[in-house]
Amino acid sequence: MKKKYAMVVDSSVCIDCKACMASCKVQHDLPRGYWRNWIKEKRADFSMGKYAYAHFQPGNCMHCDNPTCVHACPSGATYKDDDTGMVRINEGLCIGCGNCIVACPYSARYRHPVRRVPDKCDFCQDRLAMGLQPACVDTCPTKARIFGDLNDPESEAANLLGTRETVKITTEPEDTRPNMYYLAATEPMDWPGEVKYPAAHRAMTGFVNPLFKIAVGLSGLGVAAMFIKQLLTSPDSSGQEEKKQEEA
Amino acid sequence: MQEKMIHRHDRGSMFIHWFNAACWIILTLTGLGLLSGDINPLGAWWPNAMRALFGSPEMLLNVHMYLGLFWAVVMLGYILARFRHSLAFVREAVNISPSRDFTWIIKRNIQLTLGDKALNRLGMSTDIPPQGFYNAGQKAFAQLSIIAGIFLVITGVIMFLSTMVIDNVTLVAWSRTIHFLFAALALAGLLVHIYMAAVSRDERPAFRSMVTGVVPESYARHHHELWYRQVKEKI
Repeated sequence: MKKKYAMVVDSSVCIDCKACMASCKVQHDLPRGYWRNWIKEKRADFSMGKYAYAHFQPGNCMHCDNPTCVHACPSGATYKDDDTGMVRINEGLCIGCGNCIVACPYSARYRHPVRRVPDKCDFCQDRLAMGLQPACVDTCPTKARIFGDLNDPESEAANLLGTRETVKITTEPEDTRPNMYYLAATEPMDWPGEVKYPAAHRAMTGFVNPLFKIAVGLSGLGVAAMFIKQLLTSPDSSGQEEKKQEEA
Repeated sequence: MQEKMIHRHDRGSMFIHWFNAACWIILTLTGLGLLSGDINPLGAWWPNAMRALFGSPEMLLNVHMYLGLFWAVVMLGYILARFRHSLAFVREAVNISPSRDFTWIIKRNIQLTLGDKALNRLGMSTDIPPQGFYNAGQKAFAQLSIIAGIFLVITGVIMFLSTMVIDNVTLVAWSRTIHFLFAALALAGLLVHIYMAAVSRDERPAFRSMVTGVVPESYARHHHELWYRQVKEKI
C-alpha cells in the first residue's frame, strides 16, 4: 500500500533547544550556514505583564500535496513521490535553475553552495531505509516532532490526526496543502512568503508554451495541407504545369 | 533521357547538412522529453516515453547535453575550417530582395496549400518571382536556424555549466525559457523543411542533390532561375 509520510508537531512542548537542527546538520553534513529545518519563534510580549509568553515552532519541508516547487520545476527533477507522498529531488536531472527555491513560500529549500542543486528535508531517507526515525524526530528531548505514515491507521501520527485538533501553516494566494500538522494551535502563523513563481517560469508557461503550440501547430497544419494537395493532384498534371511555365 | 546536371553542393556542405539533420532531430526529440509533463506542450506521455526509452531521466538529460555539446563543437570546427564558405552561406541567407521574396513567400504558400486556382481567385497571377541559390523560404529557414542555433548553444552551455560553476540562478532559469523558445521556432521551421525535402514532389531533385551534389538543369532553371543564370554566365 502507498505511504503518505507526514509530520505532526506538538509545538507547545518545544523548548527551542535546537537539537533537531543540529542533528539534521550532522546527519546530512550540511554546508556551513545552511539548514534543512528550523525553529520559528513567537517572541514574548512583556507589555502583557504576567500573561507574557513565548512560543517555539519546529518545522521543515512540509512535503505539500500542492507542491509549488514541483510546479515551478521545468524538468520534473523535483517531484512528488507517489509511493511515499514525499517531495523529492532527482539531482541528476536538475539543471540548477533555482525556480523551486523561489516558488517555495516556506523557504524550505536552499541552493547547495557546492553541488549547486536545491537541497531540503527528505525525512532522512537513509535512516527510514534502516528502520530508524528521522534524525530530528529521534533526537527531540521533549518529543515535539512525531513522524509517521498517515495511511497506516496504527501509526502515532495517524492516531493524533484522528483524535486531536490540528492546524497548518497556510499560504497565499495558492494553498500548498502542507503535510505538516501542528497540534491544537501554534505560533507564529504569518511567516510564509507569498507563493510566487519566477518570471522565467511565468514566461515559459504563459508565453513560450502557447507560442510553441501555435507555431508548431500552424506549421504542421500547413504541411498537412500541402500533403493533401499533393495527394489530390496527380504527378502528370503538375508536370504539365511546369511545362506551361516553361513555355511562358 | 539523360539530363544535364549542374553542381550545387560540395561534400563538406552535404556532410554538415546531414550531421545537422541527425543532431537536430535527436536533440528536438530528447529535448521535448526533458520538459516536465506539467508544462509539456505534447502532454506527459512524451516525457514519460522518452525517459523510459533512455532508461532514466538522468540518462536522457546526459544524452541531450553531450550530443548538444558535440554538435556545437563539430559545427564550430566546420565554421572555422571553412570560414569563407560559411560566411558566403550567411550572406546568401540574409540577401533578401523584399519585393521579390515577400511575393514569393505569399504566392508559394497559397499555391502549395490551396493551388493555382486559389491564386487566381485572389486576383494574383500564377507566375512566381525567380529565385537565387536559395528561395525565400529556404532563406527564412536558414536565418532562423542560424539565430536559433546561436541562442540554443549559448543557453545550452549556460545550463550545462549551471551546476558546476554558475551561481546566478536567474540566468539559468531564463536560459531554460529561451532555449525552449528557440527550439520551438526551429521545430516549426524544421517541419516545413523536412516536408519540402522528403515528401514534396516538386522539390525531390533538391533532396537528391543533398546526396549527389548535383541538380538537373531544368530544375535549376525552374526553381532557382537567378542562380541558374549566374552559373550559365560563368561557363
